[in-house]
Amino acid sequence: MSSEVTLEELAALMKKAAGVTVDPQDLAARADTPFAEFGLDSLGLLGIVGELENGHGRALPTDAERCRTPRDFLDLVNSTLTAGA
Amino acid sequence: MSARATRRTAITGIGVVAPNGTDTGTYWKSVKEGLFVLDRITREGCGHLPLRVAGEVRGFDPSALIEETFLVQTDRFSHYAMAAAGAALKEAGLSDAAADSPYSVGVVTAAGSGGGEFGQRELQRLWGQGSRFVGPYQSIAWFYAASTGQISIRGGFKGPCGVVASDEAGGLDAVAHAARTVGRGTDVVVVGAAEAPLAPYSMVCQLGYPELSTAEDPARAYRPFTPAACGFVPAEGGAVLVVEDEDRARGRDAAVRAVVAGHAATFTGASRWDRSREGLAHAIRGALDEAGCAPEEIDVVFADAMGVPEADRAEALALADALGPHGTRVPVTAPKTGIGRSYCGAPVLDVVAAVMAMEHGQVPPTPNVFDVCHDIDLVTSTARPAELRTALVLSRGLMGSNAALVLRRDPGTAAPHDKENTHEQ
Repeated sequence: MSSEVTLEELAALMKKAAGVTVDPQDLAARADTPFAEFGLDSLGLLGIVGELENGHGRALPTDAERCRTPRDFLDLVNSTLTAGA
Repeated sequence: MSARATRRTAITGIGVVAPNGTDTGTYWKSVKEGLFVLDRITREGCGHLPLRVAGEVRGFDPSALIEETFLVQTDRFSHYAMAAAGAALKEAGLSDAAADSPYSVGVVTAAGSGGGEFGQRELQRLWGQGSRFVGPYQSIAWFYAASTGQISIRGGFKGPCGVVASDEAGGLDAVAHAARTVGRGTDVVVVGAAEAPLAPYSMVCQLGYPELSTAEDPARAYRPFTPAACGFVPAEGGAVLVVEDEDRARGRDAAVRAVVAGHAATFTGASRWDRSREGLAHAIRGALDEAGCAPEEIDVVFADAMGVPEADRAEALALADALGPHGTRVPVTAPKTGIGRSYCGAPVLDVVAAVMAMEHGQVPPTPNVFDVCHDIDLVTSTARPAELRTALVLSRGLMGSNAALVLRRDPGTAAPHDKENTHEQ
C-alpha cells in the first residue's frame, strides 16, 4: 500500500466513516476549511484515523484526531507515514 | 404530570413508522380496517432463534428521508425515530422551528432498549478483529438515549431534552413528561418512542421473557383477552408527536388534534400480573383525576392487551375497579394485535390511534381477536362508529410499570359536568 494519503482517499474515507459526501476537488480547493464545515464531526475524524491505522498497520499520533482542517490532517498523517517508510 | 399548570398541552403533529404503515395516513387506514400484518421474522441471522413471529417494518427506506451523516452514526431504532419526528414536525408546520428560537423546542423520547443491531455489529468487530476495528459511533448509537440526541441535533433544538427509561409504559410517561415541560414554559416538545428489537442480539435478550410468544403461526401468536392467549409478539417502529402550548398552537392557527389531559403511573413489579390490576386501576384513577374526568366520560379505551391470561384478567378487572359499571360498557380496543408490541413505541402508536379515532368517530377493531373471555366490550372485526371526545390509553411494561393517559378531542366544548370536576385554576 502506498504510504501517502491523497485527498481522493480522504474524501472516500469521509464518506465511508462519517457519511459525508465531498468532491475531492472541492476538498482540495478548501483544504484549509475546518472539517466541521464539511459536516465532519470529531467522532467522524476519529473513525477516519482508525481506518487509516488499520489500513496502514501502524499508529498515528494522537494529534491526528484533533486536526481541524484537511491540510493539517494530511500533513500530519503523511509526515508520520513517510517518516517510517 | 404534577399539579395542573395553566398551560394546556395540545398535540399538533403526528409521525408514524409502523409495521402497518410508514406514514400517519396509511397507519390509521390500516388500524381502522383492522389490518393484520404479523408475520414470520425475516431479518438476517434470526432464522434459528425460537422467536418466530413479529411485526416488521417493511418498505421503509431511511436514505430517502434522513441525511447519510445521521444514518451512518445511528441504529435502526433512531432511523425510525428521526423519520417519525420529521413527519410530525412537518405536519405541525414546525420543520424550521429552530431557526427562530432553538431554545423553545425540546425533545423527549422513551426507550426500552437501544441500538441492538448496531451494537452487535461493533461487538462482532471487537471480538472478531480487535478493539481497533470498533467504530467511534458505537459510543453513541447503541445508547437508549440516542434518538433524543439525534432528533435534537438534526432539528437544531436546544430546549429541554430528556429520555424516559421506565419500561414499555414509558411511551406514555414520555408524553406526560413533555406535557410537564410545556407546562413549565417550553413552547414545543417533540416526543415519542420507536424501537427496533428484531436483530439477533436483541432477540436473544428477549427470549428470557416468559410473556414472549414463541408461536410459529402468526395467526395464533398474539391473541389477548381470549382463551388462546399465549403471550405477546414484539414489533418494530413507533410514533413521534409534536406537542405544544395550546394557546400558542391556536395563536398560530395550528390544528389542535387533541389535548393531553391527564396521566398517572404506578409500579407493581416484574411479571406480577395479578398485582398489575391494582397498579393499573390506581393509574387510571390518577389520570382521570388530573384530567378532571368522570369515569362515564371515557368514550374509548386503548388497552394494554399483554396477551398473557393473568395480565389480561388483571386489565379487565382494573377497568371495572377504576371505571365502575362503565368499565364493562365502554368500548375497548387493542389495535396492536394486528402489528405487535413495539415496546415503548406501542403506547405512543396507541395515542396516535386514539387521536385519529376521535377525529374520525370510529373505534378501530382488535385484529384477529374474536372469542373474548373477559367482561369487557372489546371491539372486534370491524370499526365501530361512535362519538368520541375522551380516550383512555393504557400501557404496562414487562418490568412492572403501569401507566394511563387521558386525551381529549375538543376541550373548548367541554360539557358543564367537566367543569365541575376539573381542578384547574
